[in-house]
Amino acid sequence: MASHAVVFEPTPANSRGPGLHRFANPGRFLRLSEALLPWLAAAAILLGSAGLIWGAFFAPPDWQQGQAARIMYVHVPAAWLALSGYVALALCSAASLVWRHPLADLAAAEIGPVGAAFAAICLLSGSLWGRPMWGAWWVWDARLTSMLLLFFLYLGHIALVRAFDDPTRGYRAGAILALIGVVDLPIIHFSVVWWNTLHQGNSISLFAAPSIYISMLWPLILATLGYSAGFAAIVLARLRAAVLERRIASLLLAEAARAEHASFAAAPAPAR
Amino acid sequence: MTRKRRRLIVLLACLAGLGTATGLALSAFSSSIVFFVTPTDLATRPPADARLVRLGGLVQQGSVQHALADGHPLVRFRVTDGHDSILVSFSGILPGLFREGQGVVVQGRLAPGGTFEADQVLARHDSAYMPKALVEALKKRGLWNPSAGPPPPPATWDTMRIPTKSGG
Amino acid sequence: MNPLPFILAAYAIALVVPATLGFAARARMRRAERRLRAIDPPSARRLRARARP
Repeated sequence: MASHAVVFEPTPANSRGPGLHRFANPGRFLRLSEALLPWLAAAAILLGSAGLIWGAFFAPPDWQQGQAARIMYVHVPAAWLALSGYVALALCSAASLVWRHPLADLAAAEIGPVGAAFAAICLLSGSLWGRPMWGAWWVWDARLTSMLLLFFLYLGHIALVRAFDDPTRGYRAGAILALIGVVDLPIIHFSVVWWNTLHQGNSISLFAAPSIYISMLWPLILATLGYSAGFAAIVLARLRAAVLERRIASLLLAEAARAEHASFAAAPAPAR
Repeated sequence: MTRKRRRLIVLLACLAGLGTATGLALSAFSSSIVFFVTPTDLATRPPADARLVRLGGLVQQGSVQHALADGHPLVRFRVTDGHDSILVSFSGILPGLFREGQGVVVQGRLAPGGTFEADQVLARHDSAYMPKALVEALKKRGLWNPSAGPPPPPATWDTMRIPTKSGG
Repeated sequence: MNPLPFILAAYAIALVVPATLGFAARARMRRAERRLRAIDPPSARRLRARARP
């Protein structure tokens, strides 16, 4: 797969390809991400701080949990992003396995660590919430265990992608692991419905009114939007860096090859 | 059929197979994935030996009794699932959320006399988040008594407003 | 149990971790941009583009 490394020129041959292929063009991605990044970063800072400040200082305390319910405003957005980040990772992996998009490979490798960090925030803040409310830092119920599994899936992906000398093989193996891990997503979501758990049920679902009163729901929505914008901004910045690093590496490689070629040509014919 | 389309179909088939296998495995092991059993489960299928079990349900209204045994605080209460209830005795510090009508998960053993001797009590709260004022409003209208069980569905909250300080 | 330390710790983690990731990503991106400008200045790129048929 030597062709992988050299397609990072501004206008590769497949740039006029149909459908989504247009967005998988690294040159176009670099332009698009440069325009998008400041907006995403600003949205992350504004919405995120608005949601967290509202949640920490102005939202009413919960009737039964009191002030401790404020941990919800950091716990729930982190959980939501750990899950949706994994969906993005799985989509990139599918694009990598089926359409062999080099940009999808790089994106999967950059999403992994960010998703792992948000899963860790979810687990740690949940633990800090569980101790004062439930009376335990950790229990092995289905929701907590499946979320821990998601964290380990992220860690496994991070390690696997970087474990091979040939990066293409690493990307392939990582993509397969990421797609196998997709079965954990419905388990996490429905664990509180299918089995009895210590963790409470889902407060927000598609088909029912949320069981969070409106004055506590708004800061949660703002914080979630802010965290989402932040996740997207971090991944885009990392992906931009990765694409540029690739381009630097291929330029240096071409330079070295040219220099070698020139030195061969300039060298006098070997004596008999 | 192009190679890309073939790879897509193979991938989808693999995912479908994997999903089915996981679903079957989970439903087969469902009874060991549950975190706790209900009083009804324990009454119909009592554990053969004095093994450690976790029992979950609501603290029955009016059943909490505090006492002192050998200088240690001892609390007795009934855990109910609305159908059956089991007497629990526990000596130790209760979680802050513990109250009548609250969900709890108690870990311990079923003693021969039928009392559940707990060595850990965990509080289980439901997924409803609301300010105190809304609870007061619901109580005043007779729509919910918090010590009797979980709150009414949130669709009924929307029709009411939290009374302001001037009343109303 | 006073929940304040738990709330503070949770907010601290939730602020510090994303902020660290964000700053690290930005630094890595700026570094790569600078490096690319150094070995492949825009003038050279324009020249290459003109040479291409």
